[in-house]
Amino acid sequence: MPGLFDSLTMAARSLQAQQFGINVTGQNISNVNTPGYSRRVTDFADVPMPAGGGVDVQGVRSIRDMLLERRLLAQVPLGTYDAAVADALAVVETSLGRTGDTLDARLNEFYDAFAELAENPTSAVARREVQVAGEALATSFNETARRLNANRQDADTRLRNSVDEINTIATRIAEINAALPAATANEGGLTLRDEQSALLRRLAELASVGTIAREDGGVDVTIGNGRALVVGANAYELETAPTAPYGYAALMAGDFNITSEVTGGTIGGLLYVRDSAIPGYLASLDTLASQTAASVNGLHTAGFDLNGAAGGAFFSYALAPVGVSGAAAALRVDPAIVADNSLIAAAGVALSGDNGAARTIAALRNQRVLNGNTATLGDGWGSLVYSVGSDVRSASNARDTHETITREVDALRDQVSGVSLDEEALNLLKFQRAYEANAKFFTTIDSMLETLMNSYRP
Amino acid sequence: MRMTAASVYRDSIASMERTSQRLLEFQEQVQSGKRINRPSDDPDGLAAAIGERAEVAAIEQYTRTGDSVTSRLTVLDTALNDIIDRLTLAQSTIVGAQGSQKTDGEREAAARTLDGVKQALLADLNTSFRGTHVFAGADSIDPPFMMTGSVVSAYQGSTQEVAVDLDQTHSATIGIDGSVISQGSAASDVFTVLDTAMAAARSGDAVALGQALTDIEAVFERATLVQTRVGTTLSSMESLKGALSDRRLATKARIAKLEDADLATAITGMTQADAAYRASLAATSRITQLSLMDYLK
Repeated sequence: MPGLFDSLTMAARSLQAQQFGINVTGQNISNVNTPGYSRRVTDFADVPMPAGGGVDVQGVRSIRDMLLERRLLAQVPLGTYDAAVADALAVVETSLGRTGDTLDARLNEFYDAFAELAENPTSAVARREVQVAGEALATSFNETARRLNANRQDADTRLRNSVDEINTIATRIAEINAALPAATANEGGLTLRDEQSALLRRLAELASVGTIAREDGGVDVTIGNGRALVVGANAYELETAPTAPYGYAALMAGDFNITSEVTGGTIGGLLYVRDSAIPGYLASLDTLASQTAASVNGLHTAGFDLNGAAGGAFFSYALAPVGVSGAAAALRVDPAIVADNSLIAAAGVALSGDNGAARTIAALRNQRVLNGNTATLGDGWGSLVYSVGSDVRSASNARDTHETITREVDALRDQVSGVSLDEEALNLLKFQRAYEANAKFFTTIDSMLETLMNSYRP
Repeated sequence: MRMTAASVYRDSIASMERTSQRLLEFQEQVQSGKRINRPSDDPDGLAAAIGERAEVAAIEQYTRTGDSVTSRLTVLDTALNDIIDRLTLAQSTIVGAQGSQKTDGEREAAARTLDGVKQALLADLNTSFRGTHVFAGADSIDPPFMMTGSVVSAYQGSTQEVAVDLDQTHSATIGIDGSVISQGSAASDVFTVLDTAMAAARSGDAVALGQALTDIEAVFERATLVQTRVGTTLSSMESLKGALSDRRLATKARIAKLEDADLATAITGMTQADAAYRASLAATSRITQLSLMDYLK
C-alpha cells in the first residue's frame, strides 16, 4: 500500500508525462510544413501500482508507411522526367521561330525571287533579289541549327548541375547512415530519418534510384543498373566526362560510362532531350538543308549564267557536312555568287535572255524532292515543326498525368505520416485536460497531507 | 481518411495552378487572336497551316507574274497590231504601184511609203519592255534586227522562246521568236521583200511586185497567227487571275480556320476559366481558414 508521498511522486510523473505529450504535439505543429517530416506519436505505458503507479513515457515513434515511401520513390522520377522534357522542349519549340514567320517563309521568298528572275532574267535587281533571298534562307537554316545546338548545350549544363546535386545528396545520405546507429531509437534518430526521406525524394526527382534499407535504419542507394551511389557510410560520387565531338558530359561511375543506364528524373529527361530529341530535330533540319542545296544546285548547274557560262553551285557549305550532319549550320550562298551575282544561272540554254533554270528552280516549290520524292521542301519543314510540337504536347500531357499520380501518392503518404492540425488541436486539448486532472490529483493529495499534518497538535 | 494540412495545401495549389493556367491559355488566345501560338498548341493544325501558307505564297507569286505578263502581252499585242497595220499598208501600196500608167512621181512615192513601212516594222520588231526585246526570243538584251545604212540585218535573236509559269499548269510566252514573223520558212525575210518591192516599184517591174505582194501576204499571215496566239493568252489571263484569286481566298480562309482563335469560344472559355479560378481561390481561402483551433477555448 503506497503512502501519500508515493502518490505525490506518481502525480509528478504523470504531470511530466502529459507535459511531454504536449511537447510532442507542439513539435508536430511546428513541423507541419517541414518536408519529409513524419508525425510523432508518444507511447505511454502505465506503471504498475507496486512500482509506484502512474504513467511513463515509453518513447516517441514516427509514423511511416515504408511501402508508400517506396512507391513515391518509384513514382517521382516519372513525373520529373516528363517535366524536364516538356520544359526543355518548350524552349526548343520557340527556337523554331515565330508562328507564321519561320523558315518556310524564307523558303517561299526564295522561290518568289526565282520566279521574278524568270520574268526578267537579265534584270540586275531580280538577280540581287535572288541573292538576298538565298542568303536569308541560308541564314535561317544556320540560325535554327544554332538555336537547336544552344538548347542542347543548355540541357548539358543543367545535366551537370543535377549531377553535382546528386553527389551532394549522396554524401549527406552517407553521413546520415554513419550517424544513425548511434542515434537510433532516440529523438535524434527520428530527425535523421526524416531528413533521409526528404533527401531520397529529392534524389528520386533527379534520377531513378534503387534503395536497400539497412537494419540500423540507414539506406543504401543505387543508380543505373545497380551501380552503388551510397553504401553504408560511403558515397560513390558520379563524375562527368566530356565526350567528343561537342564535349557533352557522359555520366561516369568510377570507370564505367553509365550514361545509357540512367533513366527517369530530371537527368533522364535532360539526357533524352540532349541525346535523342534535339539530335533528331537537327538531323531532319540537316536533311532538309542538304536536300534544298542539292535540288537547287542540280538545277542551277544545269543552267547558264548571264555571261553564257555553265552555272556553278548556288549553295555551298562553309564547312563540309559529314553525311548530312552539319549541313544546316554550314549552308551558305556560294561566295562566288555573292561576289558576282551575274553568275546566278537563270538561263536553261546559253542565252542571256533565257529563263529556263530560274523557272525550274521557282517550280521546285511544288516538286516532291524529299523522303524518296514524297514531300516538298516546305512539307519537310512542316513535318519538323509538327514533330517538335507533338513531342512538347505529349511530354506536357505525360507530365500532367504523372504529377497527378505523384500528388495522389503524396496524399496517401500524408494520410499516414502527415500532420493534421485539427488532430493536433485535439491532442493539445487531451494532454491539457489530463494535465489539469493530474494537477487536481496532486492538490488533492497535497491537501490530504496538509490535513494529516494539521491533525498533529503537540 | 486523415486530412493533413500539407495535402490540403498541395491540392489547393494544384487546383489554383490548373485553373489559372487555363485562364492564361484563353487570355493568350483572345489577346493574340490566334488559336495556335506555338507548335504544341496544335501540331497537326500548324503543319497544315505551313502547307497552306506555301500555297498562298505560290498563288501570290503567280498573281504578280500574271499582272506583269499581262502588261508584257499588251505591249506585244500593240506591236503586233501595228505590224499588221503596216503590212496592210504595204500590200495596198504595192497593189497601187502596179500598172503601167504610173508616173515616176507615183512610183517614187510608193517606194518611199514602202521604206516607211520597213522603218516602222523594224521599230515594231525591236520593241523592248523593261529592258528586254520582246521579239528576240531568249537572246533579248540586244535588238533582234540592226540597220546598217539602209540594210536591215538578218534575225539576230534566238529561236528559243521565253515562257513563264502562270500557275502550276499554265504558262505564257513572253519572249517571241521574231524570225517566225519576219521570215518563217520563206526564202527571204520581210525586210528583203520590202527592199525588192521598193526597187520593183521604182523600176515598175510588175512581176517582182506581184511576187512581193505574195511574200508580204505570207508575212501578214504569220503575224496574224502570232497575234492570235498572244491574244488568246491575253484573254485567258483574266479568267486565270480570277481562278487564282478564288484559290487565294479559299486558302486564306483555311489558314484562318486553322490558326485563328474563334473569339466567341475563346471569350466564353475565358469567362468560364475566370469564374473557375475565382471559385478555386475562394474555396482555398475558406478551407485554409477553417481550423479546430478557432473553436477550442
